[in-house]
Amino acid sequence: MTLDALPMDVPVRVTSLSGLSAFDKDRLSGLGLRPGVAVIKILKTPLQDPVECLVGSQLLAIEARLLSHIRVEAS
Amino acid sequence: MKRIAALAGRPNTGKTTLFNALTGLRQRAANFAGCTVEKATGVMRSSGGEIEIVDLPGTFSMVPQTEDELVSFRFLSECADSPDDLIVLCVAEASNLDNDLVLPAGLKAAGYPVALAVNMVDEAALNGLKFDAAELSRRLGMPVALVSARTGEGMDKLDGLLSPSSPLRADLSQALDFRRASKKRLHELQETAIETARAAAAASVTLPRRSILPVTARSIAIDRVLLHPVAGPLILAATMFALFQALFTGAAPVMDFLSGALGALSSALRARLPEGALASLLCDGAIPGISAVAVFVPQIAILFTMIGFLEQSGYLPRAGAMVDRGLRPFGLDGRVFIPFLSSFACAIPGVMAARTIPSEKRRIVTILLAPLMTCSARIPVYTLLITAFVPEAFRPLGFNGRGVVMAGMYAFGIALALLLALATKFTSLHELHPSPATVLPPYRVPSARELARYVWARCWHFLSRAGQVIFTLSLILWALAAFPRDAALLAPIEAELASARAASPADPALEKTLEDRLGAARIEGSVLGRAGRLIEPVFAPLGWDWRVSIASLSALAAREVFVGTLGTIYALGGESDPSEGLIKALQNAKNADGSRRYNVATAVSLLLFFAIALQCMSTIVTVRRETGSWKIPALQFTFLFGLAYVLAFAGYRLTLAFLV
Repeated sequence: MTLDALPMDVPVRVTSLSGLSAFDKDRLSGLGLRPGVAVIKILKTPLQDPVECLVGSQLLAIEARLLSHIRVEAS
Repeated sequence: MKRIAALAGRPNTGKTTLFNALTGLRQRAANFAGCTVEKATGVMRSSGGEIEIVDLPGTFSMVPQTEDELVSFRFLSECADSPDDLIVLCVAEASNLDNDLVLPAGLKAAGYPVALAVNMVDEAALNGLKFDAAELSRRLGMPVALVSARTGEGMDKLDGLLSPSSPLRADLSQALDFRRASKKRLHELQETAIETARAAAAASVTLPRRSILPVTARSIAIDRVLLHPVAGPLILAATMFALFQALFTGAAPVMDFLSGALGALSSALRARLPEGALASLLCDGAIPGISAVAVFVPQIAILFTMIGFLEQSGYLPRAGAMVDRGLRPFGLDGRVFIPFLSSFACAIPGVMAARTIPSEKRRIVTILLAPLMTCSARIPVYTLLITAFVPEAFRPLGFNGRGVVMAGMYAFGIALALLLALATKFTSLHELHPSPATVLPPYRVPSARELARYVWARCWHFLSRAGQVIFTLSLILWALAAFPRDAALLAPIEAELASARAASPADPALEKTLEDRLGAARIEGSVLGRAGRLIEPVFAPLGWDWRVSIASLSALAAREVFVGTLGTIYALGGESDPSEGLIKALQNAKNADGSRRYNVATAVSLLLFFAIALQCMSTIVTVRRETGSWKIPALQFTFLFGLAYVLAFAGYRLTLAFLV
């Protein structure tokens, strides 16, 4: 499953980041979004994009276009 | 040889608060060589001697991606080449060690001497976290101090870690040169550092049983309100409305007081000093020069108090996230929101507010476009022209036509800025890789001390840097407007004025008229006045005569000067009744052949010109200070002047063709 299809408030774990540009992948990794980390989708901002997610112990606003590239599994 | 402690870490780890706590007020700001990223340096007095502390830009990982991150790594490699004794003090947020330990672990693996400050331990205690500092130090192979820069807890331990007498001095000859390191090597370092960080955090931090930390859970609960689809935009609009109101209304009394006090000082001096160059230098040059600097300080102080509050509370990145989607098609993002909004009051705080944008290219685009927002200095000019040339009977859809035109000028500024932002997507200024995600830090109660320090630093920076140049340029402009004095032109008016003053009973209206005529004659004969006549042919295609050209030239000091200068020039050149004021004077002004001197087309061309041209010396100087070179303000001035000229010409011709 990818993060875009996941309902809100369901705890999952990132398994892989696929189909992203090297820049986006490195940036997300630098921000702490990498395989193995726990993620919960929290809410969509008023314009539906970006989406607020709890990644590990920090909150990130992630561009909606990236969510379909983040594969997750139930934690 | 001196000891340098470079503060490194991810943004939002409290790095700057720690820097302030270590250095107190012994700070200075400087630009990193070859770029516009600013570094703050300061001196820490430790038990072993003085240490230079450098606050590096925030760095997310061992693979630098933005200009800010490149600057940090480049600085470390340059230090490694120098004979100075370097220590990297990495700052980590105690509640986010999994991520924040990656940088210290990576730098250590790259051969740099690293010490670690685990910051915000007070907040971590609220989260129920417990730390084993000795285990963390052993796992990472570096000294560790648990601190809270906000409360001062544990700061004495940093003295021991950083003191020149401490045994951290390392051989840097084997340290990785980041300027030459391959991406592959950096990725390897990053991967190793992630594993080291994860293992060190797992072994040294005891987590509470709850899956979400209490401080984070509280932030999520607040976000459900502040980022709510309906309430979120309303709260944002209310916050921005309050900011805008505070800027306009809060600053106005202080600005009026300063202007009034300096005006009174000027009048008092004029009354005591004999009329001549010295009185003019002080009253028309130096005091207005000081005034031109001082009146901006209240706005800067209020704006940065509010921005500092929003930033420290954690709301600013959320406000940015809310408008981000709407700005992305124009090649901008949510972080340009505050600088643009601030520029409606004044472009100077707006340009300075662009510092919160971490990407260098985006910051420059924001600085380039911020002056297009309708600042308060344009209001007197717009009011004069709209009142004089938009007929009262003009009522589109029943609305007040003058109000509609005024609103249209605001909309024009925004639309042009967005269009130009779109155009920069095709230039080297386009940010190819905007960050795909941003950190939303936990909500925190701002510290009054930190806020005061933040506001003071911004005000002092403006006064000490931009202020000096604005003051000097004001004096130069005064000299251009005051000299040479054309005795042949001035003598008859001066004689008339002398006899009017001596007459009994006194005629104050006549005296005022003659004083204004004298002022107008002085400007006309000065270098500025002659330049106005010289450039008249340049602006003639826009429908301007020499009077408007001079007023526009003098408005290079500040836009609102246009009204004053035009008033002085029109002050009874014998052409119209002074008691009717400048608006009537402009409406009734006639050419030698009896035709109207100005019409709606002239007003359109002036409005367009003033909406676009960068006629603000103070903004130009501030842009110079904020970007570290004259190149950007020169480009900005030239481009906006050219665009203003072309659009004013087009507006003039089209209005003549269709409306007049």
